Amino acid sequence: MDALEIGSESRPVDLMKSVWHNYSILLVFGAIIVICGIAAPRFLNPDNLLNILRNTSIVGAIALGMTFVIIAGGIDLSSGPVLATSGAVLILLQRMVHADGSPVVPLPLAILACLSVGTAFGFLNGMVITKAKLPPFIVTLAVGILARSVVMYFCRGATIMGNNIPQFTGIGNGSVLNVPIPFIIVVILAILFHVLLTRSKFGTYVFAVGGNENAARYSGIKVDRIRIITYMLVGLCTGTAATVEMSRMAAVAATTSGSQYEFEAITAVIVGGTSLSGGKGRLIGTVVGFIILGIVNNMMIMLNISPYLSGAVKGAVILFAVLLQSRGR
Amino acid sequence: MQAPLDPIIPSRSNEEHPAAVAGPQPSGLFDSGRSRVTTLSMKGICKSFFGVEVLHGVDFAVERGEVMGLCGENGAGKSTLMKILSGIHPQDAGEVVLKGKPVEWGASPREMQSLGVSMIHQELNLLDELTVAQNIFLCREPRSSSGLIDFGKMNDEAAALLEKFGEKIHPRRKVRELKIAQKQMVEIAKATSFNVELLIMDEPTSVLTGKETRILFDLIANLSSQGIGVVYISHRLKEIGEVCHRVTVLRDGHLVATKRVAEVTPRDLATLMVGREVKDIRAQDFAGDPESVVLEARGVSDDLLKGVSFKVRRGEILGFAGLVGAGRTELMEVLFGIRKPRTGEVLIGGKPTNIRNAMDAIRADLGFVTEDRKDTGLVLCRDITENANYVIWQKTPGLFKGKRKSAGDTRRMIERLGIRCIGPAQIVSSLSGGNQQKVALAKWLLSGAKILVLDEPTRGVDVGARQEIYRIIRELAAEGTTIVLVSSDLPEILSICERVIVMHEGRVTGELEASQTTEAKIMYCATDVRAGGEHGRA
Repeated sequence: MDALEIGSESRPVDLMKSVWHNYSILLVFGAIIVICGIAAPRFLNPDNLLNILRNTSIVGAIALGMTFVIIAGGIDLSSGPVLATSGAVLILLQRMVHADGSPVVPLPLAILACLSVGTAFGFLNGMVITKAKLPPFIVTLAVGILARSVVMYFCRGATIMGNNIPQFTGIGNGSVLNVPIPFIIVVILAILFHVLLTRSKFGTYVFAVGGNENAARYSGIKVDRIRIITYMLVGLCTGTAATVEMSRMAAVAATTSGSQYEFEAITAVIVGGTSLSGGKGRLIGTVVGFIILGIVNNMMIMLNISPYLSGAVKGAVILFAVLLQSRGR
Repeated sequence: MQAPLDPIIPSRSNEEHPAAVAGPQPSGLFDSGRSRVTTLSMKGICKSFFGVEVLHGVDFAVERGEVMGLCGENGAGKSTLMKILSGIHPQDAGEVVLKGKPVEWGASPREMQSLGVSMIHQELNLLDELTVAQNIFLCREPRSSSGLIDFGKMNDEAAALLEKFGEKIHPRRKVRELKIAQKQMVEIAKATSFNVELLIMDEPTSVLTGKETRILFDLIANLSSQGIGVVYISHRLKEIGEVCHRVTVLRDGHLVATKRVAEVTPRDLATLMVGREVKDIRAQDFAGDPESVVLEARGVSDDLLKGVSFKVRRGEILGFAGLVGAGRTELMEVLFGIRKPRTGEVLIGGKPTNIRNAMDAIRADLGFVTEDRKDTGLVLCRDITENANYVIWQKTPGLFKGKRKSAGDTRRMIERLGIRCIGPAQIVSSLSGGNQQKVALAKWLLSGAKILVLDEPTRGVDVGARQEIYRIIRELAAEGTTIVLVSSDLPEILSICERVIVMHEGRVTGELEASQTTEAKIMYCATDVRAGGEHGRA
């Protein structure tokens, strides 16, 4: 309604601008789907589309949390290694079975442990960044290196197989009414987070902290606390992503689990129109952002393009998306 | 500084001679009848943005060595005119002639600079991480024979330039470490280091102390005597009378008048700017209950503050005057829990407080409209509703914002404060300075602050909006809100403060009731004339 108010009082050029600014991501999204459908008709096959949603949900979950961190003016480069670490905890707990085959640690408890490890890493990141007043880039980079090393140590650098039981593998591989469970989890998270970001006081403070930390502090906002919570949120999301990822493979690979996920998540957030300088952003943009990345990955296979070129395509997508947004402004 | 410390506003500019030309005696220089070479002539300048014409055929001229004042309310077109002159925007119609030669349409800022037009922007354009000398000689550093930057030479030249201002700024210091007034001095040094014919200064004194202002005026007179034209943009009409030869007034993109300053009083100028009569109002003494002390500081000391004590009563408007660096902002930060005092205490409602952060202060019903709204006052990239509600949201329990209530509150504030905007969803950065300031004020009014600290609330605010802010301050005080106002603008202090405390270098050096306050008395307390000597009422 407020957007309409602005539109109704200004001239057509401004109205066009505001429409472009608010909905450009959706227009681009629509265009991408049409182009893909023309280039590879199999792309529009419902199974393929559902498969895209399933594959993209793991990075998607991380990207949702990452949106909060980036809006608050931070960044988290530790997500990939943290996914591996929390995933390793889950696998190690889950593979312990009694002689009769029943698990030593009930699955929900193991998942809870996985989520806690992710959140704890977020807390660690947030505490060091706010209390030691160090740049988030460096702190999360260091924590990421540290986490990767820890998981390599515990796995002896190898892949550890989990207990391949359907209750566990069903999380990542199952569907409800044909909709992949990972995507359902991400949608539920996205709705909750959207409400948190736009309706709650916390969400507004996240924008304030990213927009102008000093003004936020002078308004009584507990800037450090808000920051720490955003890192804990991305940690929680990473733990969720780890649960899904582990359940899909029923295994954790010390070196490759979660590798590059932090960059994919950051890419999704940027493609979704959230400003890296903080203070601006939307969750719906992030959702569209990670689905676009999923489509890019899928189309590489559809069109038989060498997987080695996927980075080139993604790089081009980022540049194109950011270029469009900066023109729209 | 060896210059005699005469008060900034000497008694010659009193009520009998409101436009008396003090200081560098510019009219004498200018009237000497020498051949007049027009440095700049702009004719029939028109400019539209997005189909809206903001300049309607404006004529503007500066003679050789002339100091031309340029005033008008925010939005009157001053900045646009100057941006056309400095090459930032091309004009739609009209021509710019420099020293008799028409300037090619669409000249870039660099080309204009090479033609001798330099501009000092109000927002400082310095690189914080570089040294003073590096900033002054950015992109034209002196080179040694080997082609590398000759730092020794650069630093010496920078030091020589800065010396002209009587400023002791070391050329090797990083700009980040400088005070805001010193940064401005560096900007001016940088601008004058070019081969200038015409220097544009946009509100140069808004961050300067009286002493620095005096130095700047001497410098302007010096530039003028060298034949350099100066365009002096200011909201401080008295300064225009002091430093300019002529003044051009713009209103809504039209040229209203170009007058010789000797022919107009500051009040005439204000009338020309707003298009209606502006009345000077003098504040009365506080008439409320003298025993109703709501806020008291006792012996507050830290690195800068030296045993500051004061009391303020319910519904009183207490002013803090002094020069930049006197410790006024720092004192306010102590009240608000941003700075920790080493000794001393703050009492609210007669009870000692332990305010450690902004939230504690907010709970004690304090509000703080800070000096720099862009840095500490507002989140510019967010909308009016959010900015106005940050504090009240924290004061009320609950996880959610309550959209309907905050929207209603915001509309009420927009109406009450007269914030000119499209609607509550307008992004704050797109508002004018005065309206931004009102949003910063709205945040604290909504929070129900009973003691409101206003630090330089009208800096960068035009005459019309300024009067509105004064009206709001008076209304608030009449409703029982206690106002603590820090201002470097003496006429502002005189027109709204019921009592004035003057500070100098961390000490209270004077306390004056409205009825006995004059600018000269304040300046007497605020300068170091009496430093070291006995203080006023301690």
